[in-house]
Amino acid sequence: MRGLRIAAVGDIHLDESLGGRYRKQLDDIEEHADVLLLAGDLTRHGTLEEARVVADEFRDLPVPVVAVLGNHDHHSDHPAEIAAMLSDVGIRVLHDEATVLGIGGVRLGVVGGKGFGGGYAGKCASDFGEPEIKAFVGHTKRIAERWRTALKELEADRRVVLSHYSPVKDTLTGEPLEIYPFLGSYLLAEAVDAEGADLVVHGHAHAGTEKGVTPGGIRVRNVALPVLRRAYGVYYL
Amino acid sequence: MEAPQYVAARVQRALAEDERTHELGIRVDVRGGQLFLRGQVTCDERRLLIADVAGEAAPGLTVRNEVTVTEVRGPGEGERL
Repeated sequence: MRGLRIAAVGDIHLDESLGGRYRKQLDDIEEHADVLLLAGDLTRHGTLEEARVVADEFRDLPVPVVAVLGNHDHHSDHPAEIAAMLSDVGIRVLHDEATVLGIGGVRLGVVGGKGFGGGYAGKCASDFGEPEIKAFVGHTKRIAERWRTALKELEADRRVVLSHYSPVKDTLTGEPLEIYPFLGSYLLAEAVDAEGADLVVHGHAHAGTEKGVTPGGIRVRNVALPVLRRAYGVYYL
Repeated sequence: MEAPQYVAARVQRALAEDERTHELGIRVDVRGGQLFLRGQVTCDERRLLIADVAGEAAPGLTVRNEVTVTEVRGPGEGERL
C-alpha cells in the first residue's frame, strides 16, 4: 500500500483584506501532498463575507480539501451557511462525521468536527451543577460520542481525526495553564484512543507546540498557523 | 489607582470581544505605567488595530506594541510518522 501525504493547517483567520494571499502558497500543493485538511478558524468573525474569501482561496485545488469549523467560524451564528458555502466549492466540511477519500487506491478516512473544551483528565469540568456547566460539558460529551461512533463504523486503510480543539495537553505547551479547559478536552482523545487512528490534527492553540501524542500512543499535531509558521504541515502516513 | 491586573484583564477582554480585533491570543501585561502587547498576527493592519483597541481600553497608559507580523511561508519539509 502506498504512503499518503497529509497536509494540514488551521487558524488561518482570513478576511476580506487577505484575499489571494494564502492562495499563492497553494499553487504547487499537489507536489507536496495528496490531501489538505483545514482545522477550523478559517475566518476571523464567522461572517459570510469572510467565508467567501475562504471558499475562493481553497476552491479548485488539485488535491481534495476536508475542513472543520472553529469557534471563530461560529461567532456570527452562521456555521451552517459557512459550511454550505465551502461545500459549494467542493470542500468537504465535517460536522462530527466521517468521509472516505480514495487516493491512488488507498482509502483515507477522515473523522472530525469542531470539538470543544472542558479540560484534561483529573482537572476538568464535570457534568454536574448548574445547567450552564452541564451544557458546556454535555456539548463535549456528545461530540466525543459521535466521533467514537464514526470511528467505529469507519472502513478505511488510513484513519485521521481532524479537530479544531485539542484532544491532548502536549500540544498546548506554551499556552497559560489557566485556559487549558477552553482549549480542548481529554474526552476527545479518549474516544479516538478507544477506536484507533493514525493521526490527529487540530488547531485553536496559537501559542502551543506542534507535536504531541494521546495517552494511547496516537500522534497529535497542532497545525495552527501561528504554531507552524508555514502554509501547512505535511505528514507522511 | 486601579490594580494593573484588572486593567490587563479589561484590555484582554476588549481585544477578544471588540469586532475590530476578536484576537484571543494576545498577551497583555501592565508594568510601570506601560501596556505591553505580545503575540502574532498575519498583517500589519491587525497589529495596529490591536494597539488602537488596547489603548482605548486603558487610557493613560503608554502602549508598547510588541505584536509581530508573521508571513506565511511555503510548506517546508514533511514529517514521516
